[in-house]
Amino acid sequence: MNLNQFNRILRQVFLLPVIALLLTAIALFFQIRGANSTVALIQESGARITQMGKIERLILSEETGLRGYENTSDIRFLEPYMESAQHLQAEFDTMKQLPGLDAVEKRYIDDLIEEHETWQEAFALPVIATIRAGGQARDVDLNLRGKTMMDEIRQDIANTTQNAERRREARVELWHSQVRKMEWLLLVLALCVGISIGLFTRNRMHAVSDAYKTSLDVLGRRAEEIFQSEQRLRTTLSSIGDGVITCNPDGTIQMMNPVAVELTGWSQAEAYGQPLETVFHIVHEITRAKVENPAQKVKRLNRIIALGNHTVLIRKNGTELHIADSGAPIRDRTEGIAGIVIIFRDITMERKTQDALLANEKLAVAGRLAATIAHEIHNPLDSVTNLLYLMRQGVTKEESDQFMDMAEQELTRVTQISRAMLGLYRESRAPVLVDLKDMLEEILLLMEHRFSDEGVIIHADFPDHVSVEGFPAELRQVFSNLIANAAEAAGRGGEVRVSIAPETGGRLEKGRKQEPGATIIIADNGPGIPADIQPLLFQPFFTTKGEQGTGLGLWVSRGIITKHNGSIELTSDTSETGHGTVVRVFLATKPVLNAGGD
Amino acid sequence: MAQEPHLVLCVDDELIGLKVRKLLLERAGYRVLTAHNGSAGLEIFSKEPIEAVVLDYSMPGMNGAEVAIKMRQTKPHIPILLLSAYIGLPSEVLSIVDTYMTKGEGPPVLLKKLGSLLQPLSTI
Repeated sequence: MNLNQFNRILRQVFLLPVIALLLTAIALFFQIRGANSTVALIQESGARITQMGKIERLILSEETGLRGYENTSDIRFLEPYMESAQHLQAEFDTMKQLPGLDAVEKRYIDDLIEEHETWQEAFALPVIATIRAGGQARDVDLNLRGKTMMDEIRQDIANTTQNAERRREARVELWHSQVRKMEWLLLVLALCVGISIGLFTRNRMHAVSDAYKTSLDVLGRRAEEIFQSEQRLRTTLSSIGDGVITCNPDGTIQMMNPVAVELTGWSQAEAYGQPLETVFHIVHEITRAKVENPAQKVKRLNRIIALGNHTVLIRKNGTELHIADSGAPIRDRTEGIAGIVIIFRDITMERKTQDALLANEKLAVAGRLAATIAHEIHNPLDSVTNLLYLMRQGVTKEESDQFMDMAEQELTRVTQISRAMLGLYRESRAPVLVDLKDMLEEILLLMEHRFSDEGVIIHADFPDHVSVEGFPAELRQVFSNLIANAAEAAGRGGEVRVSIAPETGGRLEKGRKQEPGATIIIADNGPGIPADIQPLLFQPFFTTKGEQGTGLGLWVSRGIITKHNGSIELTSDTSETGHGTVVRVFLATKPVLNAGGD
Repeated sequence: MAQEPHLVLCVDDELIGLKVRKLLLERAGYRVLTAHNGSAGLEIFSKEPIEAVVLDYSMPGMNGAEVAIKMRQTKPHIPILLLSAYIGLPSEVLSIVDTYMTKGEGPPVLLKKLGSLLQPLSTI
């Protein structure tokens, strides 16, 4: 039930009784009006009876006066007669004009008036005239006639009165029955209205209470669902293998999962309400500088952040863990920040493994170098050994000169190669200025034989005097790796182009100001790298070379370039016409070297 | 009895090395033909009555193993000595050829191994 339905019920429950009572009142009003009109009729009847009484008294008074005059002939006895006769006409008129007379009554009254007139003219007036004339009116017949007339009058009066009384009685009876009917009606209406209002209200209230019950059920279920879901989230949170800390927007700790408790060494109760940096005390692995509070950083940047490498968590007991972490804002409905969640994990083992992997790759590089050394040195060495053997066997002066020349040539080659090799393997502690042309030429020299083995043609375009600051041994490792990859991809008959493009800096690239430096471009015309493999290339142990590769080359190369604050980008095309892969390595002239990079 | 010197084919892309090896073998009494790469070597091998081959492993174009396989297909009985500047060639490569040596081991080793490859021939 929605609010509209509820309001409708409210209106119904209010209006229905009002309408029912109004209808009842109207019915009662008409009933009462009927009864009132009956009362008016009763009053009319009463008035007629009264009027008739008046007339009767006057006629009686007339007769009495006349009889006294007859007996005494004294005019004083005639006075009541005169008086009554005088008023009687007026009273008759009044009587005739009374409202509500029916035909029968009118006839009675007309008869009465006529008979009275007849009595007056045929009896009273002659009697009075006789007496006035000094005579006597003792004639029995005359008096009997007068009496008969008067009896008729009396009968008429009695009839009229009786008639009026009957009608009055009938009307009183009618009024009684009306009142009784009203009583019944009132009772029945009251009962009906009461019952119907009761039933209706009950029905509506049922609807409301059903709806209320449904709402309660729904609310109950919702509450249960929310509870379940919260439990599930809570369980999920505690089961997450990473440490999770949630913070209020002000950066104080709200919740920590068991892993976070384990890693930080702070219990949930101790940590609750503490500022994040107190519990989650992180510093840079090498510089020991305090790392920006991730909660503040998330708030400042208002987005998900990944925290820098080389972050060390100092636990409550002072021990340290290498961690990888990230922070994210918890959004409320209005996209505001309702909190911050920090996720971190212990990567101490990972770091050790990584270090081991790096060492492994270094060994692999050393192994490959050893093979190159063997090849490059054994060839000239073989010639020199053979020449010495020949010379020992005895030779002519001419032959001796020729052999020594050849031996010298071969030894020069050995010297060159050993120099390049030493350069490649010289470790330096601090960054030095590296001439890119010299470095790349040395690498190509060392790899020359390999290219001819593999039937790959190398094109080099190195401008003079392009130098960057860096660690030469590491950069050599990167470029030997990339060039070797390109040569392998190009395959027999393929081509590899290596070039250096100096960057003067200043121009904007991807919204970032380009620093001065150089981009080394290594392009091959091999079959290209399928797009689905490309994202995997820089991951450790990913190799397309089967047993031949460690799968660490590109991963290590990227690590080294990142340490040099440079960038490495790979684009590849597998189409029929333009297939090939291009790797671009940017190195800044004066990079801010990332300390501690490996 | 005057024995006809054995005809040996040397294949190597190292020019000085090849030249010196030819001199050495000639002084040791062999007749020597040379080739600078695999395909040239195969051509001479098919045309000339070669009795033994001294083959370099790492060469542009075809490497020693590929050349050896082709030689075995045409004249499987001709002994092949594989030379390599690398230490530790894969065993599947070594199984193709009769014997193998690393460059720089010195002429006596080369002459001894080549001699032993040709020995059975001379006794027949």
